[in-house]
Amino acid sequence: MADSAYALRASAASPWRRALLAGGVALVLLAVCSVVLPTFLVNNLIRAFLYAAVALTVDLLWGYTGILTFGQSAFFGIGAYAAGLIFTHAGFSLPLAAGALVAGIGAAWLVSRAVGWLAFYHGASPLYASVVTLVLPIVLVQGIYSGGEFTGSSSGLSGFDSFDIPLEAWFFIAGAFLICLAVTAWMFVRSDAGRLLVAIRENEARCEYLGIDVSRYKARLMDTCAVIAAFAGFLFACVQMVVAPEYAGFVFGTELVIWVALGGRGSLIGPIAGTMLIDVGSAYLSGNLPYVWTLLVGVAFVVVIVAMPRGLAPVVAIGARRALPRRRRADAEPVVFAVAKAREHGGAEEARPALSIRGVQKHFGSLKVLDGISFDARAGELLSLIGPNGAGKSTLMRCIADGAERSAGSVEIGGTDIRTLAPYDCVALGIGRKFQTATVFESLTVAEALRIARHRVAPPSKWQRSPVLELPQPALDVLRLTGLDRMPGRECRYLSHGQKQALELAMVLALEPRTVLLDEPTAGLTKQERTQIGEIFVALSSRYRMCLLLVEHDLEFVQQISSRIIVLHQGRIVMDGGVDEVVNSELVRSVYAGESHAAAGTQEEGRA
Amino acid sequence: MLNLGLDVATTAAILFIVSAGLLMVFGVMKIINFSHGAFLTVGGYASVIVAHLGLAWWWGVPFALAIGFVLGIAVERFIVRPLYARPLDAILATWGLGIIVGQIVTLIFGRGVQMVASPVEGAIPLFGVQYSAYRLILIGVALVIALALGWLLNGTRLGLQTRAVIMNEALARGLGISSSRVRFMTFCTGAALASAAGCLITPLASVDPNMGVPWIVGAFMLVLVSGSSLLSLAVASIVLGGAQVLVSTFVNPVLGGLTIAVLAALLLRFRPEGFARG
Amino acid sequence: MNAPAIVQVDALKSGYGEAMVLKGLDLRLARGEVMAILGKNGMGKSTLLKTLMGYIRPAEGEVALFGERTTGMPPNRIARRDVAYIPQEKALFQDLTVEENLKLALLRDRDFKALFARIDDLFPFLKDRLRQKAGTLSGGEQKMLLVARALIRQPKLILIDEITEGMQPSVIERLVGILIRERDTAGTTMLLVEQHVRFAFAVANRYAVLELGEIPASGETAEPSAQATVSRFLSL
Repeated sequence: MADSAYALRASAASPWRRALLAGGVALVLLAVCSVVLPTFLVNNLIRAFLYAAVALTVDLLWGYTGILTFGQSAFFGIGAYAAGLIFTHAGFSLPLAAGALVAGIGAAWLVSRAVGWLAFYHGASPLYASVVTLVLPIVLVQGIYSGGEFTGSSSGLSGFDSFDIPLEAWFFIAGAFLICLAVTAWMFVRSDAGRLLVAIRENEARCEYLGIDVSRYKARLMDTCAVIAAFAGFLFACVQMVVAPEYAGFVFGTELVIWVALGGRGSLIGPIAGTMLIDVGSAYLSGNLPYVWTLLVGVAFVVVIVAMPRGLAPVVAIGARRALPRRRRADAEPVVFAVAKAREHGGAEEARPALSIRGVQKHFGSLKVLDGISFDARAGELLSLIGPNGAGKSTLMRCIADGAERSAGSVEIGGTDIRTLAPYDCVALGIGRKFQTATVFESLTVAEALRIARHRVAPPSKWQRSPVLELPQPALDVLRLTGLDRMPGRECRYLSHGQKQALELAMVLALEPRTVLLDEPTAGLTKQERTQIGEIFVALSSRYRMCLLLVEHDLEFVQQISSRIIVLHQGRIVMDGGVDEVVNSELVRSVYAGESHAAAGTQEEGRA
Repeated sequence: MLNLGLDVATTAAILFIVSAGLLMVFGVMKIINFSHGAFLTVGGYASVIVAHLGLAWWWGVPFALAIGFVLGIAVERFIVRPLYARPLDAILATWGLGIIVGQIVTLIFGRGVQMVASPVEGAIPLFGVQYSAYRLILIGVALVIALALGWLLNGTRLGLQTRAVIMNEALARGLGISSSRVRFMTFCTGAALASAAGCLITPLASVDPNMGVPWIVGAFMLVLVSGSSLLSLAVASIVLGGAQVLVSTFVNPVLGGLTIAVLAALLLRFRPEGFARG
Repeated sequence: MNAPAIVQVDALKSGYGEAMVLKGLDLRLARGEVMAILGKNGMGKSTLLKTLMGYIRPAEGEVALFGERTTGMPPNRIARRDVAYIPQEKALFQDLTVEENLKLALLRDRDFKALFARIDDLFPFLKDRLRQKAGTLSGGEQKMLLVARALIRQPKLILIDEITEGMQPSVIERLVGILIRERDTAGTTMLLVEQHVRFAFAVANRYAVLELGEIPASGETAEPSAQATVSRFLSL
């Protein structure tokens, strides 16, 4: 087995060159428009630009990451009120303005931390997170109302001084803010790190079991979006010189979601276009038909949610692609796999058991599923867990990989007690878990999925797409054996069932675990695939000295590859020994496959 | 002191009446019906129509029930059913529906605030205190609704099927129960109840196209905290409603309006099942 | 003698997502027959029953029950055609009473007294526990309740998924007696998915082995070679 090192191909044109070019063109266009367009339109567009910036943050949170938030308006309001309050009560000057901006951003960040603590934790439901983001603007607005004279209560604050610059200049500033934000966001979501947003939206549990602290990631994303929204609010207050509670309320918050939904969630350009079109449109049209306009928007919104959840952007995009002349489509940047340097494994590590289970129990109310489970597993062992349905095998697997699952007893991974650690922390201790149903990320490509798996070991770039992906040798072996190494750019949704299983295994191996938990890995595989995967498992334990723990029903498979078998029955270990010992034991036969053999004996005297 | 107690009791009753319909829908269909506010508004305007027609106020209640039920049929069929597998999108679509209803009501009735005369004026003496008669009647109404729903759920075949669907929809279907029919009936009943609630609160508050909106979040939080149990909803109404009254009275009415939402959010953070038996 | 089969399965391919668990099955059950589907775990036995019952939509092939095409029909409509299904897991409403669990299987609540009277000699312990919550019964009693619920509606077809799992031998014997009685007196057609071969052979007159989504062996349980054939496929 030679060290495989594929030749590096020349990387494709750097993506951010294109983005910067587009941004530059937009800025020039902006400057031109600022003098050419009529004042009424310029006024509206300034507002629309800033709203679009906030809508962009909603798209990042909801469209990409799946966090439905009604609360971005609150952060916008915080930024606006910071300016309004300081300029009203302390007057206006450049240092004060800087101070107001810092205060607004700081306050928004603090509030976002609080929201993050409430809404994003291991096991939180997405519905609850949305509820918290709904309550936030309500609380904020009520706070403003109760502020009396100081906050201007329901009438808001107005008439304060601000920067003395012409409207055209504000047009350029607001537009530039939006363009810079859009370019940065675009580069981020296309980067390797940005793909994690989609991964979280599609399969949060998988991310956690790949060692990613999803809650912290979401909270940090919300912090960033809160700061951006507050900045937009600050600019808004400076331009309009009026702040009112409506700008911080949940009606505005839901409007943002509506604009994003109509424009096209998860597309960046869709929300920008949607916001600008609707906001500017309503400025012109709602004068004539006030309620009808809102009614139409409402109807469009409901229709889009029910029938076209991706919004109108994809429809437009398909139309545009058909209308524009055919260009040679740039290939998705090719990704090349290379071997990662193996981490050093000291001899001392092999002396300690890879897994040490003592007295583990699990009960659901009065139902005892696991009772007094104790055993050690060492590096290089291929340990199979067998037993009838309901014996507790899958429960045991969960208790090993998630510190919060078990009701009693202790689990040590590589000598460290996992106490109540969450799955992503258990992964850090060296354990990987492969689920029974292959859970990969449908919208991502093979290479992107594997890169997410390397997140803990090799944090991806936040603005670039690397053309090389380094993987440990065992993962590369799996990819090569199943042909996946030749399709790095294929989206996971187009893989066959067996290929998805192999990809998930490669993702788990990419974590460089010392222990791998495998939950019915052969389910749904063809005979050939079973043989292949059996060979892989044997290689993992014997050549790479991993400890493998398998839950399996296919006893022939178990017999062929295991070095040791543990038999579980009604939550207890009834037998723990070598393959021959267990296979030939009478106790096991009677417990597990027993009836079929006991029947063979009694059939002669039994009824026909 | 007695006044305070009565305030708590009547507030709890009103909260229960407003939230019961939402609870039914959430328990069976596991989605939050954000158009609940729109149904409240529709019920409120049912009272207005009844007043215009010169009928006694009480006619508003069956009228509101009927309109709510019929509207519920259309909403369930075209908006809720297609979104069964997408609960977050269902929240958005029903919210959008709320906007649509609000605008249609505005187009028909105008933006103005209307007042509907209370059917029972004045206060009645109770243990030495004068208390609003209508509010006291609402306690009775809440009890009637609770008993009626309880009977529907526990004493009828449809109720048994509904409880089965709440517990295990797949198993219920395997026994021959049409879960889509159960969901349909539940939604229409919840909508009708919301509409009736809107009618019932008109003597206490003004009627305008957005009258439902302030109630949504409070009802929503109460339902989340109650899971799918009517009993939990009653308990939550009393506890959280009581907290709201206490805060409004002793601290600040504005903060009082926030109490339910904030307390419920904190409660759910530490005990995701809320008041329901875990 | 060409009465339509009670169960007719043609070239059935079914599974979850792209994982085709059943790979082209053919099956035919005539009225009054009891067939045991045997096989190790993960071979597709539960998938077969779930597909018959309408929980899973087959990718290819046809299912017909009582001569009527039921491919793609939802579970509640199939259940209404007098098909009783006992799933392997989560088969009871734990928080509902015994009586409520039984009533849910019926078309009309008021038929309960009469229909229950017909079977209460088979399940004597149930009579006193009608008001008890199903979750408070012992494991064996719960399984018996499942059988009672299947039988109370006088079904024409019963599908049972591994009911003997975790059952005491004495309870299994009683169950054998109940099913044999049902088979002989009512002529009910049954499809039993099992790993417990002795139980299966005691009740069934036909068997089929399911391995990796196909049926490599089938026949009559009375045949002398049946036992050996089955043992070969199920052995450790």
